[in-house]
Amino acid sequence: MSDETSQPERLEKVIELRLPSKLGYERVAMDTASSLARRMGFPDDRVDSLKTAISEAVTNAIEHGNQQDAAMKVVVLLTALEDGLIVSVADQGRKPLAQVSTTNSPKIEEAFERDDKGGWGIWLIRELMDEVEFSTAPSGGNQVRMVIHLE
Amino acid sequence: MSTSLIYSMDLSFPSELGYEVIARDAVSAFARRMGLSAERIEDLKTALSEACINAIEHGNSLRPDLRVTVHCHLEPDRLVIEVVDEGTAEFVVRDNLPTISEKVAGLGPLRGMGLMLISQLCDESSFEPCANGNRMRLAFSR
Repeated sequence: MSDETSQPERLEKVIELRLPSKLGYERVAMDTASSLARRMGFPDDRVDSLKTAISEAVTNAIEHGNQQDAAMKVVVLLTALEDGLIVSVADQGRKPLAQVSTTNSPKIEEAFERDDKGGWGIWLIRELMDEVEFSTAPSGGNQVRMVIHLE
Repeated sequence: MSTSLIYSMDLSFPSELGYEVIARDAVSAFARRMGLSAERIEDLKTALSEACINAIEHGNSLRPDLRVTVHCHLEPDRLVIEVVDEGTAEFVVRDNLPTISEKVAGLGPLRGMGLMLISQLCDESSFEPCANGNRMRLAFSR
């Protein structure tokens, strides 16, 4: 990673959204991100990829990080750049993400054997977005930073 | 904590024209989850866009380093939205403004209908100076 990408994004170009940790509110993040992405000129299929990725990231933050405690917030930052869109999703982290879940890919053969067919969110985010990075948020929670390039 | 504060949403964005469209889409998605009817959501979209444009253009004088913040929360029977700017320009209420029909009839400039539109579209609206700027408050009954 270059020094440039590790710099915090310039505050003035950031849209900040703080949502309650209740399932269903991921739709607000999806609609906000797609509104921005459409106006930036992303084609429909890329907007759909972005919506799916942000939905998975926000759902993870609500369900796992914030344990569905509605009083805890999920913070979504959207930064429009000349050549792409940066999306950062952070929770207030009662439950840190296990390192293994951000690096290992689930296997479809094993999923068939399991009763729980979930667990594809992070894999899906990696498939759909151009850059994905998991870290600890300043709040101490989990944070995922995703970039989608405008071609 | 009360339910209204739990089910609240905050949004902030730079004072650049165009961002009001993103705010409009974010808040209408929130309002849909709160059970506001499609018709009321259309009113909300227009009123909120006007309030955000006022905050960007007048309150923050189009300075991109100043931010506009939108707070939304649910009260038992209504959705309350506050649009807050960092108020570099003091807001002056003028008397004897032409009405919308007078404007449409060419008796006044076509701009400057924002606050009138907002008051027509909301169930309640108010505009007041606050700690570090101005606050426009909009309420929509469910």
